[in-house]
Amino acid sequence: MVVLESVSKRYGSKTIIHDLSFTVEKGEIVGFLGPNGAGKTTTMRMIAGFTAATSGRVTVAGYDMATQNAEAARQIGYLPERPPLYDTLDVSAYLRFVARVKGVPRSAITAELDRVTAACGLEAVFRREIYKLSKGYRQRVGLAQALLGKPEVLLLDEPTIGLDPGQIHETREVIRSFGEVHTVLLSTHILPEVTMICRRVAIINHGRLLAIDSPSGLQRAVEQTNRVALQVTAPAQALREELLSVEGVRALEMHASPGDNPVLSVECQVDAREGVEAAIARAVANRWDLHRLERHQPTLENIFLHYVSEAPAAKGTA
Amino acid sequence: MSGMLAVCQKELSTYFRSPIAYFVVAVFMVGTGYFFTYNIFLTGNATMHETFQNMGILLLLVIPAVSMRLFSGEYGASTMELLLTLPLKPWQVVLGKYLGAVAILLLMTAATLIDLVPLYLFGNPETTTILSGYIGFVLLGMACLAVGQFFSALTQNQIVAALLTVSVLLGFWFVHNLQSFQTSYALRGLSRHLSFSLHFGAFIQGLVRSEAVVLYLVVCAIALTLNASYLHWRR
Repeated sequence: MVVLESVSKRYGSKTIIHDLSFTVEKGEIVGFLGPNGAGKTTTMRMIAGFTAATSGRVTVAGYDMATQNAEAARQIGYLPERPPLYDTLDVSAYLRFVARVKGVPRSAITAELDRVTAACGLEAVFRREIYKLSKGYRQRVGLAQALLGKPEVLLLDEPTIGLDPGQIHETREVIRSFGEVHTVLLSTHILPEVTMICRRVAIINHGRLLAIDSPSGLQRAVEQTNRVALQVTAPAQALREELLSVEGVRALEMHASPGDNPVLSVECQVDAREGVEAAIARAVANRWDLHRLERHQPTLENIFLHYVSEAPAAKGTA
Repeated sequence: MSGMLAVCQKELSTYFRSPIAYFVVAVFMVGTGYFFTYNIFLTGNATMHETFQNMGILLLLVIPAVSMRLFSGEYGASTMELLLTLPLKPWQVVLGKYLGAVAILLLMTAATLIDLVPLYLFGNPETTTILSGYIGFVLLGMACLAVGQFFSALTQNQIVAALLTVSVLLGFWFVHNLQSFQTSYALRGLSRHLSFSLHFGAFIQGLVRSEAVVLYLVVCAIALTLNASYLHWRR
């Protein structure tokens, strides 16, 4: 649905985006992660057709953004970093204007306005001038504008910024339900958001794509091993042998609890695949008292920092 | 087409939801009313000749107030990002905005028709001269708006856009004064042909000359084309 082929963007002598390539399929929600100034907004703008790529090709729904800008624009709903609002208009006039330009038939405009107003929770401010709205409402009017005309591709530049927790939840639901049928590319700073709603994550820094994969795929890529922590009442030697015999357990560390407490705390290094902790649980619980068992996976935060801190090295080799 | 009309309608509602439209029309009405009364009592003639002359100069100063926000305002509110990513071609944005501004010009012009009431009540003015004066006035205004809209697209700052517009329009208004400095026949002809005020002068004397009409329309066409190409180039 969205295809970037070795896209670069230069402003004067400064290169903002280096040879960026990735694809977003239909019905997919892809999160776009990167520190400030990584090139997220520039990339969004190139996909939306606001700026042209210096070299390379951007294709949206089969249309080349360099030559078929207006045709492609019908397939795109775009929420820029700063919601593009006309302060003097009221919400309904603003949405009506966008709907007309997007080619929503005159007879369907009212229904379409009702749909996005309900989806974004704008009923209360529908007749209010935009300059009177709070930041959260402005953000939601921007989102409503992007949803108008049921575009195939939704590009959202930090869609939940400025919203309160309740609104963030609602907005995520809107995006999630939209992403079931359409294509969504969203950029964000909020890491849990990506794990919650995105099927794949693209991490960029200094205008280069560092990784693109599912959140769990990235986790595997970053750490080949995961950890399983458990607390068991058992003799140390027998427990060690039992655990090492379980398939997938690579190494372990054992700590006796302080005092007379016979409970042992164990940390196992295990393979990064599903079901290892279940095998451990079966093996241990058969013979001893298992008090606690926990699997630690690297968080997206660690993954993000892992890739972003590697970036200068990548820059040196390129 | 419908996209262009939507832009035009949006411009009009923006003008009327902010004080600009009312302010501009009111200032223009008061200005022309003053000049009209002054000229009528001074000359004692039932003619719009002097009033049109003053309206021309007043127009040069009022047009930038109408045109300065057309694009500068969009940059400031970052709505340019919306306009250029909606299914609109640059010429649709440019023409839609231009039509909206021309509607304000027509409103300004219509507001001055009130001066004709006493003229026809107490005198016997020449209708065709007045008509050609109004045609010239609207054409002059259209050319000025197109120039103003182009400069508005060049800068984020509305004040800069307005100042650039005023200086260029004053240049076009007074360019015929350069004639006396030119020895070359071609340059003398050029500075005469480019003069907004000489052509406008012909209109208010009752002459609708094709070279005047062509000049104003060509200025419109060039400014609007430059405007659309600039938007395209900016990407």
